[in-house]
Amino acid sequence: MRARFAQRKLSGLAPLMLALPAVVAGCQRANPPMNTLAPKSDYANWIYSLFVEVTWLDLFVLGIVVVAFVLAVFVFSRRAGEGEAASETHTDMRLELAWTLGPAFILLLIAIPTIRTIFREEPPAPPADSLKVTVIAHQWWWEFRYPGTPIVTANELHIPEHRPVWVSLRSADVIHSFWVPALGGKRDVIPGQVNHMWFIANTPGEYYGQCAEFCGDSHANMRFRVFVDTPAQFAAWEKAQEAPPVQPAAGTRAAKGAAIFANSPCTACHTITGVSKGYIGPNLTHLASRTTIAGGIMKNDPKDLKAWIENPVGLKPGANMPALGLRGPELDDLVAYLGSLK
Amino acid sequence: MAAQPKAIPAEYPSYLKGDPISWLNTIDHKRVGVLYGVSALFFMMLGGIEALLIRIQLFEPNNTFLSAHVYNQVFTMHGTTMIFLVVMPLLLGFAANFLVPLQIGARDVAFPRLNALSFWIFLSGAVFLHMGWFWHHGGLPDAGWFGYANLTERQYTPGMAIDFWDIGLLILGVSTVMTGLNFFTTIVTMRAPGMTYMRMPMFVWSILVTSILILLAFPPLTVGLIFLFMDRFFGTHYYQAVAGATPILWQHLFWLFGHPEVYIMALPAFGMISEIIPTFSRKPLFGYPMMAYSLILIAFLSYGVWGHHMFATGMGPVADATFAITSMLIAIPTGIKIFSWIATVWGGSLKMTTAFYFALGFIVEFTIGGLSGIMHAAVPIDLQQTDSYFVVAHFHYVLFGGVMFAILGAFYYWWPKVTGRMLSEKLGKVQFWLTVIGFNGTFFPMHFLGTWGMPRRIYTYGSGMGWTFWNQFETVSAFILGFAFLLMFINMLRSLRDGEIAPADPWDARTLEWSIPSPPPAFNFVTVPSVSGRDAFWARKYGTGSHGAAAVASAGDPPNGEAEAIHMPEPSFFPIVLAAGLLLCGLGVVVAWWRLIMAGGVILFLSIIGMAFQYPTFGQHTHETEAASGGGGEDLRKVGLWAFIGSESVFFATLIATFMVYKSRSMGGPGADVLEIPLTSFSTFILLMSSLLMVLALAATQRGDKTWQRVWLAGTVLFGLIFLGDQAYEFTSLYHHGLGFTTDLFSQCFFTLVGFHGFHVFIGVVWLSVLLVVSFMDRLPKSRALSVELAGLYWHFVDIVWVVIFTLVYLMQKVKGA
Amino acid sequence: MTAEAAVHEQFEQHVHPGASVYVTVAAFLVVLTALEITVFYVQALAPVMIPLLLILSAAKFVLVAGFYMHLRYDSYVLTSIFGFALVIAAVLLISLLLLFTYLSHHLWFAVPLARILLPGH
Repeated sequence: MRARFAQRKLSGLAPLMLALPAVVAGCQRANPPMNTLAPKSDYANWIYSLFVEVTWLDLFVLGIVVVAFVLAVFVFSRRAGEGEAASETHTDMRLELAWTLGPAFILLLIAIPTIRTIFREEPPAPPADSLKVTVIAHQWWWEFRYPGTPIVTANELHIPEHRPVWVSLRSADVIHSFWVPALGGKRDVIPGQVNHMWFIANTPGEYYGQCAEFCGDSHANMRFRVFVDTPAQFAAWEKAQEAPPVQPAAGTRAAKGAAIFANSPCTACHTITGVSKGYIGPNLTHLASRTTIAGGIMKNDPKDLKAWIENPVGLKPGANMPALGLRGPELDDLVAYLGSLK
Repeated sequence: MAAQPKAIPAEYPSYLKGDPISWLNTIDHKRVGVLYGVSALFFMMLGGIEALLIRIQLFEPNNTFLSAHVYNQVFTMHGTTMIFLVVMPLLLGFAANFLVPLQIGARDVAFPRLNALSFWIFLSGAVFLHMGWFWHHGGLPDAGWFGYANLTERQYTPGMAIDFWDIGLLILGVSTVMTGLNFFTTIVTMRAPGMTYMRMPMFVWSILVTSILILLAFPPLTVGLIFLFMDRFFGTHYYQAVAGATPILWQHLFWLFGHPEVYIMALPAFGMISEIIPTFSRKPLFGYPMMAYSLILIAFLSYGVWGHHMFATGMGPVADATFAITSMLIAIPTGIKIFSWIATVWGGSLKMTTAFYFALGFIVEFTIGGLSGIMHAAVPIDLQQTDSYFVVAHFHYVLFGGVMFAILGAFYYWWPKVTGRMLSEKLGKVQFWLTVIGFNGTFFPMHFLGTWGMPRRIYTYGSGMGWTFWNQFETVSAFILGFAFLLMFINMLRSLRDGEIAPADPWDARTLEWSIPSPPPAFNFVTVPSVSGRDAFWARKYGTGSHGAAAVASAGDPPNGEAEAIHMPEPSFFPIVLAAGLLLCGLGVVVAWWRLIMAGGVILFLSIIGMAFQYPTFGQHTHETEAASGGGGEDLRKVGLWAFIGSESVFFATLIATFMVYKSRSMGGPGADVLEIPLTSFSTFILLMSSLLMVLALAATQRGDKTWQRVWLAGTVLFGLIFLGDQAYEFTSLYHHGLGFTTDLFSQCFFTLVGFHGFHVFIGVVWLSVLLVVSFMDRLPKSRALSVELAGLYWHFVDIVWVVIFTLVYLMQKVKGA
Repeated sequence: MTAEAAVHEQFEQHVHPGASVYVTVAAFLVVLTALEITVFYVQALAPVMIPLLLILSAAKFVLVAGFYMHLRYDSYVLTSIFGFALVIAAVLLISLLLLFTYLSHHLWFAVPLARILLPGH
């Protein structure tokens, strides 16, 4: 029996054999920035521990199935033409009862923590002392507002550690989904409906997020970052954001750029406090305080900024921002001005 | 040991014989099946190429192989194609069409012409989906196979692509519902004498349950697509986030269809596995009753789990918890099936064929997909994993590791019966191993990518995300998988050209299709077999098993002289013409060319009339001998009509639910108080009385009383017309009160619901008018009372829908939503 | 007995009622409709309007389906087909109403539920 077991091709084990080195290799790789298995908030932690529990139970069930399968195919059966005829057994009440009640019991083990976590993550009202943030999703960028303050920023959300954050989600156009894997699960952003989620981030750092509901051409380019700050850092950031925009010194390139901006179509869509009131595109009042532009797909440096202004639709398919045809020194001046908006 | 293979008797030509034209007007279920199969294989190549394009684009970060716009079209069409144009036509169009009549010992399906019509409509729907290619402002649909509103609104996706998608799916839906109706009626009424429900092959069971799922799950999709159509063409706001409407409505309607749809694809696959495993284990299926009950349980539960696709939309904790529990419950019947298959193998005498390899592979791969499914039922985990590559891994383990493995197994199992040739087992096993390697290599790493945060449906990703290696690994594996399919096509062509001739029963199998020659003659059975237990053919070959009554051991189908007496229905060109008319009509709507709509409409109308007068239905002709075995002695046309009424009930329930939900959210506008009760009370009275006249007409027909038959029929038509006139008056006066179609949510839902009911009344009036004409032609004698009864059933159904509408819409007009 | 005779007998079992039954049913339908309209107009019945109307229209529904559509006389197979479809239709209708109204707007019962499920939180 054993010899034949070894001879047979291990058809059923093939996926597992393939999976095993994959798992090993997978675990060795550097921590991917959107890893769901490295939770950095209480909410993400609850999900992670539930995930680990269910994974073990799943592996346990898979183990039973695979063992039964291997025994059935390779041990407790014959090959056609060998030995006696097949058995005619086709029913066994106890066995059938066992594989009905067994899984039901395992499901109960999964259902209880699942339902507890559901109610924990969806409280009817914001937790006390929470920081309220409004997220407005646009095709294809993110706007962040802090109710009660004048702060409006884009694609980079700053929050303090160890304080509940109550996020209200609104959409300006189609359905999007707000997802920062390190801080918790997704919540869809639905036009005509305000959704909520909350979490307490526990480790300062920079975390990647991305739109998770297909929302049109540049769905893949709708990324953002969340910066979890220490309370002191956060207070400083808040103060800087509430300040009026930088006024460039007269005669500098930035001052020329400011004039170009003020007289350009840019003002129709972008706000710089005191300069323009557009609301279709991101608020640029403190653009230079951000690390990325264009929905988080480009670095916020003069080179990328220039490339972006020259050809937005080429870099982000479907983008609403038109190429204005600014060239040479004019463009450099504008980039210098935008780069000065700390 | 095995029954001696029987030579094909020369006097019964195979169903495949005939000139090429005869494939265009065929109504033979086997030929229709082959037509489905060939089309589906073509679309499988197309969908496979789309999959490879996706994998090439994702091979490296920031790839520019495909533009965002093209990539979105490719993944949309990959999903739409694989579900609607490959898996469903292969399982239902091909396998069920070919096998169900053979397995239940019937000569064809209940409505053979409807069957051919299903195919041609399917083909025109499939062509329609791809028509955007040919227009400058077209392009292929690009909003995902799930087409989430409000992205699909004209504001966000202009152009014709979504129009083609919307109408294409409507056309495919018509075809699928007709198929479901046909199989349901066939299985309920046409089983061979002695084949009780608990003696049916498990594949037949799975198709019976799947047909019910189709009939009751497609209406919500139809309604959803109609709403989308109205939004895009008539300016309603069903899915716009204005005036109180919400795009979430689409998600509910879509997944009300979408989750049962998963089982529409999975259950026939379960059925196939339940046929292949017993044959090659040489053992009866373990736990037959539980296998049948678990199918029913899965089907029933599948209507209560759609919300698990929507956990991230914020339905609230109570709804989330409810859907989590119902979703987990489905794991129990599914587990029963997995363990029963293993128990069937246990103690067997295994014949390791390619078909059996795929069936065994199915068990393991499908289990992995099922277990990752439980993670998605656990809401918090789902919130991390949904719309990430983890969920892509999950459903490909279900739909490829599960359904496609079953299809491949079935392909190797039934190919000899379909073509009369054997496939190469050697090549088949190479294909199996390449498929296992390619499949797991492509989809297993998606679990990692998903847990590492890679979202679905992104055409590109940054280089610092840690996703590159596994994407490259997957792309290479996908090409291995593609190569495995190439081997299958080579195997097919080789077999067709010079494959070994297949005997009637090459696998020493258990069910009736193996008792007749390969390929079977057009009429399937020389004499209708009589059945006395499960695994009817096995019992005939080997006598009593441990189950079923004693059977006389006799090999094959005893030929005798009865073949001459077999009457098969005549072929018909109307199905293909009708489908062409439908295609033109739909095209005319999308390109807004009235003449094309008219031309299509005329063709459509003439072919329906032509079909109605072509010849009496097959059902009428055969019920004397065959219908007696099932359906409680009811005529198969009556069973079919009731199944249709069941489907219509869900259609109206969806419209009524939308009306009630949106009425409570409607803002502005005159509101429901403008509805006039005296007028509609009169309409109600008229419609109720028309039902009375209708039954009196039936009673007169059953008495053979021609005069009163005409009087009452004419009365019914007249009352129907009065009702329609009332409704026209009501709509006009509402319009003058400022309640237009698109005034507010209330008005659009009101006009849609009541308008669709009015349209049903109109169809009923046309139907009854035709009967009246027939009656005046003296061709509606007592013996054709059933024709009057059928029209009556439809008419009364329209009446009871009005009973519901009158109460919920008119009398409860003052009830505001909760 | 030949197969044909057996079929004949089976069909004979579903004898449909005569005109008198049909007319009686029609009379009931008219009365029930009149009652419904009365309920609509009588202010005093407003608090119980919804259940009353539902019962009355259900009665009409059953009368038409049972007598005019012959479910009372025909095979149980037809009744089960229609019955199963109605169950699914009802599940669909009721759950959509719940999902869009109580479950999304009224969390009053979610709070006590959360207290039971999350002791000490």
